[in-house]
Amino acid sequence: MILGNLLKDWTVRTNKLERLWLLAKIEFKLRYYENKLGLFWALLKPLLDMCIYYVAFKVILKTDVPSFASYLFIGLVMWNFFLESTNGTIALLNTKKYLYEYSNMNKLEIYISTLFANSIGFLFNLTMFILFFNFFEAGSGGFSVYNLWIIVLFINLFILALGISLILSNIYIVAKDINQIWMVFTSFLFFLSPIFYKLSTFKDALPGFDFGNPLAGIIINARRVMMNDAAPDFKLLGFDFGYALVILFAGLLLLNKLGAKAAEKL
Amino acid sequence: MDNGIALKARNISKTFHISEDSHNTVKHRLFNLFSPSRRKSVPAIKLMNFEINKGECVGLIGRNGCGKSTLIRLLAGVYPTDTGFVEINGTTLIMNLGVGMSQELTARENIYVSSSVLGLKIKETDAIFDKIVDFAEIREFVDTKVKFFSSGMMARLGFSIAVNAGAGIMFLDEIFAVGDMKFQEKAIKVFESSWIEGKTVILVSHSMDVIRKYCTRTAYMKKGELVFFGETQQAVDMYIQDNQ
Repeated sequence: MILGNLLKDWTVRTNKLERLWLLAKIEFKLRYYENKLGLFWALLKPLLDMCIYYVAFKVILKTDVPSFASYLFIGLVMWNFFLESTNGTIALLNTKKYLYEYSNMNKLEIYISTLFANSIGFLFNLTMFILFFNFFEAGSGGFSVYNLWIIVLFINLFILALGISLILSNIYIVAKDINQIWMVFTSFLFFLSPIFYKLSTFKDALPGFDFGNPLAGIIINARRVMMNDAAPDFKLLGFDFGYALVILFAGLLLLNKLGAKAAEKL
Repeated sequence: MDNGIALKARNISKTFHISEDSHNTVKHRLFNLFSPSRRKSVPAIKLMNFEINKGECVGLIGRNGCGKSTLIRLLAGVYPTDTGFVEINGTTLIMNLGVGMSQELTARENIYVSSSVLGLKIKETDAIFDKIVDFAEIREFVDTKVKFFSSGMMARLGFSIAVNAGAGIMFLDEIFAVGDMKFQEKAIKVFESSWIEGKTVILVSHSMDVIRKYCTRTAYMKKGELVFFGETQQAVDMYIQDNQ
């Protein structure tokens, strides 16, 4: 009943859903179509990233992870969405000020639409991964019904990224150098996530960290459902959803407290 | 909220804390944790209560720096209040030189984005798109980024979006005092037409003729205080007396 009313409010009664889509479309266009390489870059970037890490870890360090290229690929697809949605949105309230400084538009819509734009990029990358894994990877077991779990994992990732984006961009209102701090933190987080390590090596070196780092759990589960023909680790999934919701709640509190002053402070 | 009321302000106030130090980085904040920042408090809006009905055109007058612009930002929901609350029944739009536009977008994109922010569906914007473009006289530049527009073109486009898309509650901040003569004529022409009818308008102006002509009720502010809110002629008389 409540959900039905909410859906009706967002689609029929108001233009909220349409507005989110319009803003997302424009954001996506601005990001990719303004550059010479255009949308091609969105597809090329994860492939190039994958090549770099492949050379470093497979060719030079001789890692023994099976289907290492796909292993890296899916890890990077998840990581890049997280990075773009957090690093790329720190100054969001400043760059999108024109949307709320003259009207009472809900600021949360600005965040959601920006993450929708990133989701379009994610969808392209995921499609590239699926094609690569199923048609070029020798060790691929083909499509599986477990692949559908990626939708749930993506929702988890979306909520987590939205929460962190809200926290960072609202701190930005009072402390501009949060940008540099977060860049250092994400470099650290990148190496604390099992993106290119063998999972057993990661778990041995950092016991319990697959539960301590919400991104690690999402990446581990993404590999299970997309590559290993298995259901996600539900305990890990539960933990990661818990983290994402707590972080989102903190982000919404900050938006309410600090974000309300964005028009006068920025 | 009562359906006949567009805006309700209850015990609202606003004080700006202006810091003389620039503690806007994490480093500054950490290094100056124990040294209190030198802050100055400027009470911009002192405690006030009032209601504005739907379809009413209300004037807002007072000398420069008396808090008119801050008050409309509070009422539009752009600034948060320090005390009390503002109940807003509908979408709001503050219009001075124009509406908020992104320099990186084309005129066409800005029209769609601004209209969408104001609550219009894409089909509704399609229906008024030509009207907005023609009114702004930018037909041949509709797919040009607005950062290449002259200030006059920007003003025309902003004005055109605001009057054609419109919001439920419009705050017009000195719109008769900006732009060239042609722009001012346009603004006046719109007001002479039936545009204002049925809209909730809060009109900020230093022109007493404009206030007398269009406003049924007027608020007179002095140093952040709402001195009077009622019959327009009385508010205008108080303002004139204050200026002598």
